Amino acid sequence: MSRNGSAAAASALRPKVVIERTYRARLEELWELWTTKEGFESWWGPEGFRVEVHALEARVGGTLHYDMIAHASEQVAAMRRMGRPTSHQTRASFVELRPHARLAITHVIDFLPGVKPYDSTMVVEFFPSGDSVRMVVTLDPMHTEEFTKMSTMGLASQLTKLDRRFATGRG
Amino acid sequence: MHIDGFEILSDPTRRLVVEALRHGEQQVSDIVAQAGIHQSGVSRHLRILHEAGFVARRPDGQRRLYRLQAAPFRELDAWLAPYRGLWEARLDRFGAALEKRRKARGITHKEKRT
Repeated sequence: MSRNGSAAAASALRPKVVIERTYRARLEELWELWTTKEGFESWWGPEGFRVEVHALEARVGGTLHYDMIAHASEQVAAMRRMGRPTSHQTRASFVELRPHARLAITHVIDFLPGVKPYDSTMVVEFFPSGDSVRMVVTLDPMHTEEFTKMSTMGLASQLTKLDRRFATGRG
Repeated sequence: MHIDGFEILSDPTRRLVVEALRHGEQQVSDIVAQAGIHQSGVSRHLRILHEAGFVARRPDGQRRLYRLQAAPFRELDAWLAPYRGLWEARLDRFGAALEKRRKARGITHKEKRT
């Protein structure tokens, strides 16, 4: 096996989380939910949080800045318990954008105490078929906001180790 | 902690061995042919995978046959489940938002999961 082949196989086997859904709607309607202020605000979570978009420029290199605000009482209480603000300024950008086909958003993960800021990219692809559209979201669970939140609940050190291992990938 | 499973699979060569075994029970020489790794390497990684519970083996005459075991993969999956759940919930909201917009525009639709 060549080095390249091995690297490609390693990359293919990286623990990506792929989540997909098929929605009976027009492709443009799905696209709007990712690429317009009101569209994005209407669904982007997580549960118990709402977002307020300050800038959304749907073009390659365009910024996506929003506040993620705890609004359910349970989440507000949880954030307070952890001594964290109930609103968090989030910085992201569109690193890829092929209208109605594919987009990639990179978030800057900069809110973890003691963890150097790093990037987390998610890829979204749209596959229309008849009157439906299949939407495929590919996430690297080692580099996402939710996962790092989980890591703050006691997994941080292991994940950092794991990250390094995946990053260096020995043959 | 299931992180051990990730550590076991963090080795690219071991992942190649696992890939080869996805096609079913095999002997070392078949894995060597598929993965393109030297036999000594395959044997070493099979031993590690076996010790970690990822691979089971049984004798078959002169040969030893290796196959994948589901349990550790299920554990890895369980470890990722809460994370996946967050995103399932997020895509539920995506569907609901889509539905709401369509209703506002006088169109209805049903989301279906795949």
